[in-house]
Amino acid sequence: MSLAELDRMRTERDKAGRKIKVKQPDNKAALGFLAPWIIGLLGLTAGPLLYSLYLSFTKYNLLQPPEWTGLDNFERMLTDDRLHQALKVTFTYVIVSVPLQLLVALVLALALDRGMRFLPFYRSAFYLPSLLGGSVAIAVLWRLVFGADGLLNAILGWMGIESTQSWISNPDTALWTIVLLHVWTFGSPMVIFLAGLRQIPKSYYEAASTDGANAWWQFRHITLPLLTPIVFFNLVLAIINAFSNFTQAYVVSGGTGGPADSTLFYTLYLYQEGFGNFRMGYAAAMAWLLVLIIGAFTGLNFWLSKRWVHYDD
Amino acid sequence: MEFTRSRRVLAGAAFAAAATMGLAACSSGSSDPASSGADGGSGEQVEIRLNWWGSDARHERTQEAIDAFMAEYPNITVVGEFSDWTGYWDKLATSTAGSNMPDVIQMDQLYLASYAERGTLADLGALSTLDTSNLSDSVLGIGQVDGTQYAMPVSTVGFTILVNQDILDELGLTLPDTDSWTWDDFYAFAAEVTEVSGGDVVGTAPMNNEFSLQLWARQNGEALFTDGNVSISPEVLADYLAQGLEMSKIGASAEATAYSEQASLPLDQIDFSVGKQAMAFTQITQIAAYTAASDGANLVAVKLPTEDANASKYLYLKPGMYFSVSSQSAHPEEAAQLIDFLVNDPTAAEIIGTERGLPANPNTIELLADSLTPEETKAVEYTDSIADLLGEAPEIVPNGASGVDGLIQRYILEVYFESSSPIDAADAFISELQSSIDAA
Repeated sequence: MSLAELDRMRTERDKAGRKIKVKQPDNKAALGFLAPWIIGLLGLTAGPLLYSLYLSFTKYNLLQPPEWTGLDNFERMLTDDRLHQALKVTFTYVIVSVPLQLLVALVLALALDRGMRFLPFYRSAFYLPSLLGGSVAIAVLWRLVFGADGLLNAILGWMGIESTQSWISNPDTALWTIVLLHVWTFGSPMVIFLAGLRQIPKSYYEAASTDGANAWWQFRHITLPLLTPIVFFNLVLAIINAFSNFTQAYVVSGGTGGPADSTLFYTLYLYQEGFGNFRMGYAAAMAWLLVLIIGAFTGLNFWLSKRWVHYDD
Repeated sequence: MEFTRSRRVLAGAAFAAAATMGLAACSSGSSDPASSGADGGSGEQVEIRLNWWGSDARHERTQEAIDAFMAEYPNITVVGEFSDWTGYWDKLATSTAGSNMPDVIQMDQLYLASYAERGTLADLGALSTLDTSNLSDSVLGIGQVDGTQYAMPVSTVGFTILVNQDILDELGLTLPDTDSWTWDDFYAFAAEVTEVSGGDVVGTAPMNNEFSLQLWARQNGEALFTDGNVSISPEVLADYLAQGLEMSKIGASAEATAYSEQASLPLDQIDFSVGKQAMAFTQITQIAAYTAASDGANLVAVKLPTEDANASKYLYLKPGMYFSVSSQSAHPEEAAQLIDFLVNDPTAAEIIGTERGLPANPNTIELLADSLTPEETKAVEYTDSIADLLGEAPEIVPNGASGVDGLIQRYILEVYFESSSPIDAADAFISELQSSIDAA
């Protein structure tokens, strides 16, 4: 039974102005089926979540009971230079890597949508980086590529550009290597784009080419508008993902956020404060600030979406 | 259901994803305290866990010592867990918070006060199976916090400069007189190494840990910590933080990015291990690990330079490491028994050797005298040679300052990359460290 049907039932009852007997056994059965999920939600998500909200107002060193300190943690945020650095790094990362990643994903989805041979193979191959993106092997690979004796410098050398610098160890470039790593893991938005492209009726294109529309015009006036819900969906997900990125930053810098805090991602700093410096109360407060930031971005996204997202229904 | 471009489905999915993924980052775990109920050294079958950090050499030797212990005490099963230095402390903090702390913990003076003052370590004085009578009061003292014996000192280590003699021979260079060399002599020699090698080998790399900063402060008549607070002056600290940058300007050490790259490599891949760096600041006990990592290069341990040739007793022997028992342990007596075996038993002494540092137990040193490897002999000889320079040990790192090593490395890089002036970095360093102590 769908939500819409339930809605209709309720309306009918209201119109009739009398109570319809609710079938109790059905509800009980439903509750029974829902129980594993409800227990999980309350015990594993809601409980810890509320506890972390409580912790954000305490001083808690992990080893002793938390101690209520009111707004101290939030006040400290105002003067915490490393937090400000972490915000700067994270915002830079989100603002640059999200559009780039979606662009790459869209371009590749368009290319794959042309129905080339070995499509399943290419699709899997392009998805592979998404699976590898957070693994420890990547830390090694990234060093081999962006280190002083790395692949990138070798390629630059062939092109006649002498470079002996280690991109990954230079505070000016280290963040960009992680941005690149993120763009490289374009697999899941690409697959979603592909699914979206398949949903656009072929008849639209047929009609357009009958009218003499070229490929660019078709893309601009058919594909793109009909794909906007998918773009929106991917955008919301990608922004959330990018804000909560932890693994990539952790493996590439070995957990330090170095060199010189240039890759100190918000979540990495949160982790350092919580588990390295035993300031779990402060870490919880930081987590809630991140929730607010992500919430604000997502809200803004939904609000803006009215202006550019085109729904078919 | 068909994959539609319907507003409700997509918006709903996006929102649900936003809610779950965003909030997943904030959940923190809490769990029930482990089952308690200590049973004082009864003969029943028990299992205890021993946790340590270190190199491969240490893992092998420790495992061997554990096997010997289990052969002697068949009723105790010891499960060894090990990791590298960084991962070790993350893991220990997490497992402690989750009431899943290992029974026996290899402890460092950086963290001793942090763990002891938070009630996570057992009072070793109350455990009868551990014999501490072999250690002098002054050595036992470095394992105490507020008068309680929370940690058993395993070893003591001195600080040194290791010189790769093979590189100097190849370049035809002779080390200056290291008994009386000044910092300027050292910098000049390091620069000479780089120059003569045509840049294939770099002279050295700057000091970058708490031990060396303590020594630097003491050479300048100061102390890093006094009465639990930061007491080094910004000027002295600034010189320390600027050492790498200053050396790189004259070619004595690598450029900023090359240096920065070193920081994240494992020991066997860093320049000093692969023969691309002639001299390295380190703890004397590392000589075995570096010799192994460099395929048996001839390493020589020499004294640190001073401004005023060996005028003050600036050196001290740092407690190399300790063993502690968790206050959460269900089998504290058996845990103490394991520590007793590791620090007092001749069998364990022969297996472990000086890998964990020069044993704090004098009987062990005597016992080992005949069976030392060449590297161990070098370590013992070096430690003997600095006896005249040893002063009082400084106070242990206060609660809240455990992150001092990371702080040092971060600010050195800031200065190295010239994003902060040395004095600004020193001021920021002091205020960050002090506020960390205040907040603990």
